[in-house]
Amino acid sequence: MTSWIDVFRAQLFASVCWYRNNKWMIFSSFVWPYLMVGFLVGLGSLSGSIENYAERIGVSNPLFFLLSSTVIAMSSLLIVFSVTRFALENRWLGTLPYILLSPVRTTVIFIASGLPDAIITPTITVASIAPAALYLEGLAGGLKILAVLAIVLFGMMPLVGFSVLVGSALLFLKEESNIADVIAPLVLLVSGIYYPLGILPEVLQLIGLALPTTYVVEAAKLISAYLTPETHLLLTPVYVLTALTFGYNLVASLVIDKAERAVKRKGVL
Amino acid sequence: MTKAIEVERLVKRYTSFLRRGLFRHEKIVVEALKGVSFDVDYGEVFGLLGPNGAGKTTTVKILSTLLIPDEGEARVAGFDVVESPSMVRKHIGVTLTVEKGFFWKLTGRENLSYFGMLRGLKGLQLRRRVDELMKMLGLDSLGASDKFYEEYSLGMRARLSLARALLTDPPVLILDEPTLGLDPSSARYIRKLLLRFAREDGKAILLTTHNMFEAEVICDRVAIIDKGRIIAIGTVQELKKTVAGRAVINITASSPPIELKLLEAKFMETVTGEVSLRLDDQGKLRIRVVSKIGEEELHLSEVVKLLSSLGVRVNRVELEEPSLEDVFVALTRRRGSGVDQLDRRI
Repeated sequence: MTSWIDVFRAQLFASVCWYRNNKWMIFSSFVWPYLMVGFLVGLGSLSGSIENYAERIGVSNPLFFLLSSTVIAMSSLLIVFSVTRFALENRWLGTLPYILLSPVRTTVIFIASGLPDAIITPTITVASIAPAALYLEGLAGGLKILAVLAIVLFGMMPLVGFSVLVGSALLFLKEESNIADVIAPLVLLVSGIYYPLGILPEVLQLIGLALPTTYVVEAAKLISAYLTPETHLLLTPVYVLTALTFGYNLVASLVIDKAERAVKRKGVL
Repeated sequence: MTKAIEVERLVKRYTSFLRRGLFRHEKIVVEALKGVSFDVDYGEVFGLLGPNGAGKTTTVKILSTLLIPDEGEARVAGFDVVESPSMVRKHIGVTLTVEKGFFWKLTGRENLSYFGMLRGLKGLQLRRRVDELMKMLGLDSLGASDKFYEEYSLGMRARLSLARALLTDPPVLILDEPTLGLDPSSARYIRKLLLRFAREDGKAILLTTHNMFEAEVICDRVAIIDKGRIIAIGTVQELKKTVAGRAVINITASSPPIELKLLEAKFMETVTGEVSLRLDDQGKLRIRVVSKIGEEELHLSEVVKLLSSLGVRVNRVELEEPSLEDVFVALTRRRGSGVDQLDRRI
């Protein structure tokens, strides 16, 4: 009997093979966070010193904060990309019908196929900045980065449901352009990754409150900015993330069966 | 014993919107299938023939559970395609297009392993099956097993597609143009395998094709589908009887001075028989005229007259019995589908 584990295993195998066959991709994944931080520091220094930035954001080590923010930003982006693009990219490759021919429910295929990349990409990103974290803050920095990875992985659970919803919508609409490319930066903007949510217009703040990334950012900031964050502060985003996990994934599993029937009636595959 | 595939009065409509202005769209409903019925037995190779847009791929997609019909019923291996899609998927192997459908940056072996895992194969069983298929499909001997898919020739891709369809050794194979675009030796290899699967393993094989020669060589029965309806069904011999009382004239002539399309148009205007034209590998013009018995001479003289007016020299004239292609042309022409949709690679 084929189950979600088979689908997960298959996608994990494909992802590992893909990285193994594209070694430059691993290299660029390792370099990318440093380029991003370098760009942000360079851009920021045009409008003020890094000390000013640290004061405004309220963190002790701004470089470390920027690095961990980049991990969160990139991981969140890649998770959204990996799941929303799953249907589109496989349709372009012509592999989607064969994947959907697996004798398991389509909901299971969509969710289980997105998970391996959602785990691999944050792990690679965290591994890439681990040396810098150790250099900047010693062992405590390494532990903080591991904690950030844990919270990002926990935070990805509602993101999977969210991305499945977006992916199904794209498939149904027969939309060939990758809306994920537009959605992902917007998700970052309203999640308060580099700037506090409070400075955004009220509408964007409301959208931000409905997005799981906002709480991932909040929790990760607490971890990366302070060595021992107060537990009660950390619990709030964790509770909200748990609620969002149920919410988004429940809606996704309800919607995707209907979306699948609609897609199969429409003849999109 | 139940049939491998049972299709009853299948209807499928597609809705599309035609842009009539910046904000105005016209809704268009196209009926791709208009009550298609047929069945396929285990151990049988069944061919679905038809011009482009006839409804072949729609039928294949419905039987593969990738499309839901609007009306009618279809059962594969005894399971309803709408009610029990997972059970149907368990019993089928499918190829939809041979030129894509794999990950470009993965090797053939890695691709097969991935799709094998998706179908529940694992560990030693998976490795053995992948190795076995690589050998069976000749990919091993071509040195293609560990090549990236992007480096595969079309022939290798077709073989890999068939290997994927066979991963779980399913009793029913549904193949949409499995030899399209292949060189003659690859196409022959695939046909040989398909015949073996049907005769020795008792698999039911439904294949769609444009290639009349292929259908004639490997199909036990064929159905000709046109504009969403099955217009003829039976063995090749039975179908040939539908054009009994006809003669086929094969003419070989020198290379024409005008493009083939223009020449076709001229033939349509002047010759009253059913004509199909193609250029062979040497650039010679091959003309095939299907005539009613007694009208051969008239049609031959019309053709010769037209060719001489264009300065084309006739090299050879032969008479033969009608082929499946002639049946196809005759039947689809009666319905106004035209010969221009025929695959001329035959």
